[in-house]
Formats: sequence, structure tokens, C-alpha cells
Amino acid sequence: MSCLLEVKGLYKNYIHKSGWLPGKRVCALEPISFTLAKGESLAVMGETGSGKTTLAKLIAGAEPPSGGEILLNGERLETGNYRQRCRHIRMIFQDSLGSLNPQTIVGQQLLESLKFNTDLTNDEQIDRVNKTLMKVGLLPDHFFFYPHMLSSGQQQRVCIARAIVINPQIIVADEALVGLDPSVRAQIINLLLDLQQDMGISFIFISHSPEIVKHVADKILIMHRGKMIEFGKTSELIKNPTEHVTELLLQSGIIKNQL
Amino acid sequence: MNLLDIRNLSIEMDTSQGPIKVLDKMSLQLREGEIHTLIGESGSGKSLLAKAILGFINPRWRVIADRLWWNGSDLLSMTPAQRRTITGRDMAMIFQNPRSYLDPNSTVGEQLREAIPSGDLEGLFLRRRADRNTRVTRLLHRVGVKNHDEVMNSYPFELSDGVAQKVTIAMAIAHKPKLLIADEPTTAMEPSTRAQIYKLLERLSVSQGMSVLMITQDMGSIIPASERISLVYCGQLMESGPLEEVTQTPRHPYTQAMLSMSLHDTDKMQPKQRLTGLSGAIPTLQHLPIGCRLGPRCPRAQKKCVQQPRLDKVQDQVYACHFPLTYEQADDKPDAPAGPKPADSDKEQ
Repeated sequence: MSCLLEVKGLYKNYIHKSGWLPGKRVCALEPISFTLAKGESLAVMGETGSGKTTLAKLIAGAEPPSGGEILLNGERLETGNYRQRCRHIRMIFQDSLGSLNPQTIVGQQLLESLKFNTDLTNDEQIDRVNKTLMKVGLLPDHFFFYPHMLSSGQQQRVCIARAIVINPQIIVADEALVGLDPSVRAQIINLLLDLQQDMGISFIFISHSPEIVKHVADKILIMHRGKMIEFGKTSELIKNPTEHVTELLLQSGIIKNQL
Repeated sequence: MNLLDIRNLSIEMDTSQGPIKVLDKMSLQLREGEIHTLIGESGSGKSLLAKAILGFINPRWRVIADRLWWNGSDLLSMTPAQRRTITGRDMAMIFQNPRSYLDPNSTVGEQLREAIPSGDLEGLFLRRRADRNTRVTRLLHRVGVKNHDEVMNSYPFELSDGVAQKVTIAMAIAHKPKLLIADEPTTAMEPSTRAQIYKLLERLSVSQGMSVLMITQDMGSIIPASERISLVYCGQLMESGPLEEVTQTPRHPYTQAMLSMSLHDTDKMQPKQRLTGLSGAIPTLQHLPIGCRLGPRCPRAQKKCVQQPRLDKVQDQVYACHFPLTYEQADDKPDAPAGPKPADSDKEQ
């Protein structure tokens, strides 16, 4: 598999300024480098404040990095060039209702990303939206629904539909499976796995649930206090973790320990 | 004797579409010092059951029960004043989002001092104050907070999730309750913090003989020390029994689905294998199906499922299903002397 995403020495500092004195520099993310192949899933794990959300934001372009570069298919992603980036990298959030516009119908929100990023005609756009809704397990009728009329699982499906409507290459899911009911969560996991198989999308999961990570991820990246401390294939990392933090994060299965 | 004995508890609400049973014939028994985990997805009425035990039920809802006994006395026939006394003396509750249940305007120390029951204090005026402070410190040590001065002087927003939850547990156990109801205390917490809270609850239950009723959403977050678990779906009891038996030999299709959806045995599964879960969504209160409410989503459902199944029992395991899962070897030996199982006769029909 070819290398789809390559991150080279990416880092992020925040400057806390108080008064006239030069601000204090806080390092949220120390230089980090990794690669992601097409159709692979990468899981980023870490404690709170370990910089995993910062990494997701930098990759999705929600924040400018302090240095380093991100290469997509060997092409450098420029900071601030959202047209280029949002066609290829999309994001899903934990709070699905909060990330949808409550005043617009679902179809319109999906159309918007098509309008800004493609040259399709009106009919083609509507056709594409309907097909995407079917793909994520909704009906074309849901085009005319407002977000609050849907259940939490359906809202998350709309968010996924909005992410995949312009055929991206990478989806960054920031804690997207937290707070869903188990049955809904299983459905969403299945959906994401199906989409990966059909469309060859790469996923970056930000998560702290070891069960999900072990199941869906090909590679795991462990962060600790802004540093990447481990990066490797899921099976190998589970078998012989080198750091204690990794062991703690991956230790799971409260039921399994019992049995 | 059972500390808490609930038989066929139903809660009815009046809506514009007529009365709705939000809880339908729930049963639950809790012994002293036992940890019991109640599992249910959102809208299953698990928090409502907790409220019914505590007596915080909207007076317009009807609570009907064959038995709602606390330590041998009937809670339903008591006057509100009597009930309040029992609730205040013997029960305590902790919640999901600890910081929102602490007063943001006063320090943790002030709130903890308030939580110490005045009747327990010894001595006169100044002695009492000193005693109160030592009790608060001791309480914080008991819940595993070592830097007590720092925590007592901070406001709730300055605490981390885990410490805030420990503080609420400290407040809950200040008057040494017999029952602690923990309503999803660790949802949205990191695994390491969650493990700490679980260990703490387990230790408290052993050292103080306190019963804990844990309420969770997910099979993956069962507290390992719990002796029995119960699964609720849409207000109906699906299965209940000892932790090991239920997780190893689930009888109810819902239990099996929940187990598979919690990804507890990822080692046996292929990576990226599709999960066998329940299809469809949880029905809303206005559109509850008749009979077994799992019916429309159940993989084993048949025509008969429009009638509500009776509770059947295999050893210690109770389940409500017309077509339960059976286990050849495990079933034959213990059940052979007891005659044919009701579950088998159902299958033949």
C-alpha cells in the first residue's frame, strides 16, 4: 500500500500572554512524525491533555501548526488552504447534534459541502446527497428533516454522511463513538468499517476506549504529555507494549479479567 | 435477609396517548454488602428505578408494586415523612457528572463540612468544630484523596474528573449509608480513572458493608466486583443473575447482543469483523411495542413475542424470554432432576 498521509516533525506551541511580559510558551505537541497508508485506520490514544485532540485539529486544519509539515499523497498541505484540505480530510465530532446546524435541513447541510467543493450541477448534487444518505443507512426522505428530529444515532449518521459526501481520503473521528448507546455504537462501527471497505477511506480515530481501538485500528499511536511514545501495529503493541502507559491504556475488558 | 426487595414494580405515566408504563414489572433483590450492576441503554428506565427506590418520584406518576421493601418494611405504605427519614439516613446517590453536582460557589472543604451529620460530632462548641474538620480529613483519606488540604481549599472547577467524583463519594458516605446508588458514575471518564473509582467503591462496600447499586449503560463498564447483574430494556427486565453466569452463558438474546456489542472478547474476533448487534433504534416512549418490548429488534422474535414472557429461572439466572438461548452440556446436568425446563417446552411448540 502506498503512503497516503505523511506527517513530518509536526509540532504546536501555545503562547500564554499575560501583561506586557513576553508570553510563556506551552508545548502542546512535541515534534511528531508518522505515516498512514490508504485504507488503514490509525487510533490515537492518550490521557486527557496528552495532545491527541491537538494532533487531530492540526491534521484537519482547524488550527495552524507551529512547524513541521503534512504531506498528502506526497503533496504538501498548506496552512489556511481550506479548499485543498477539506476535500481530502474531513472530521467527525463527539457531539453530533452540536456540530450540525439546527436551523437548516439535513439535505441542505450536505449540499453545502458539495456546492463549495465540486462543479456538479444542481441535479447531480441532489442525486449525490440522496445516494450518500442511503449509504449511511438513512432514507432519501431524511433530506427534509431538521437535525433535532432525528435520534442520536441518526444524527451521527448525518455527520458521517456530511464527511463522506465529497469522497474524502481521510476522516478524523474525534471521540465520535463516546456517549452513544451500545447498540447504536455497534451500528456506527459497522457503518464505518463498511465505508472503509467500499470507499477505501483511511480513518484517524481519537479514542480512549481500548475495546474499540483494538477492534477497528490497524495501527496505534500512543501519546503522553504531548509526546508520541509509541507507534506500531495494533497486534504487536498489544502483545508487547514497551511503555507502562501503553499497558495501562490498552488494559481493558473488565469482564474479561473476571472470566 | 434482603436489604432491598423489589417485586413487579411498575411506574405509570399519563400522557396524551393514554397511560404508559415506563417501568414494567421490574424485580430486584439486593443483599447487604452486595454490589449489583444494572445495565440498560438510554430510556430503559434504569435511573427511574433508582428514583423510585429513593422516593423522588413525581407525584403524578403511579408507582405500583407487589413489594417494595427496605429491610423488611414496606416503603410504599409509609408516610412521606417516614420515607424521607429512611432515605436520608440509609441511602445515598452519586451521579454521572460530578462537577455539576457540587456547588461552584463554595470550596470543596465547606461542602464536605456541611455533609458531616451534626449528630455524630463530639464535645462542645470548639471541640465540635475541630472534630468536624478531622472527620472531613478522614473521609477524604478514606476515598483515596491524599492531598486533603489542597483539595479542600479548591473550588469544584479546579478538580479533575476523578477527584471530583471521589469528593461526591465522600459526601455520599459521610453519614454511613447502607445503600449507595451510583448512576453512571464513570461514563466519559478515562479507563484509569474509572478503575480507581471502581476499586474505591469495591473497598467501601467490603469495609463498611455498604450495598452498591451500580447503574451503567454498557456491558464493558461493569464493575468487576459486582456479584449480580441485571439487564433492562425499555423498562422491562430482560435477564438477571450472577455476573459470571450471565456473561458466560447468556440466556436472553438481548444479553448476548449486548455482550457482542461491548467488544469484550476481541481476541476471538477477527479484526474489523462486523459486529452482530441489534438492528433498528430504541423505541420512544410513545411508541413502545406490546408484549416483549425487545420484539421488533430481537433476532429470535416470533409471533408469540407479542405476549409478555414470564420470568423463567435456571439456577440463579432469571430471564424473560419465550425463546431463550440454551446450552446443551451446561443445561442437562443441573436441570435433569428438576424436570423439563419451561424453556424447552416453549421451543417445541
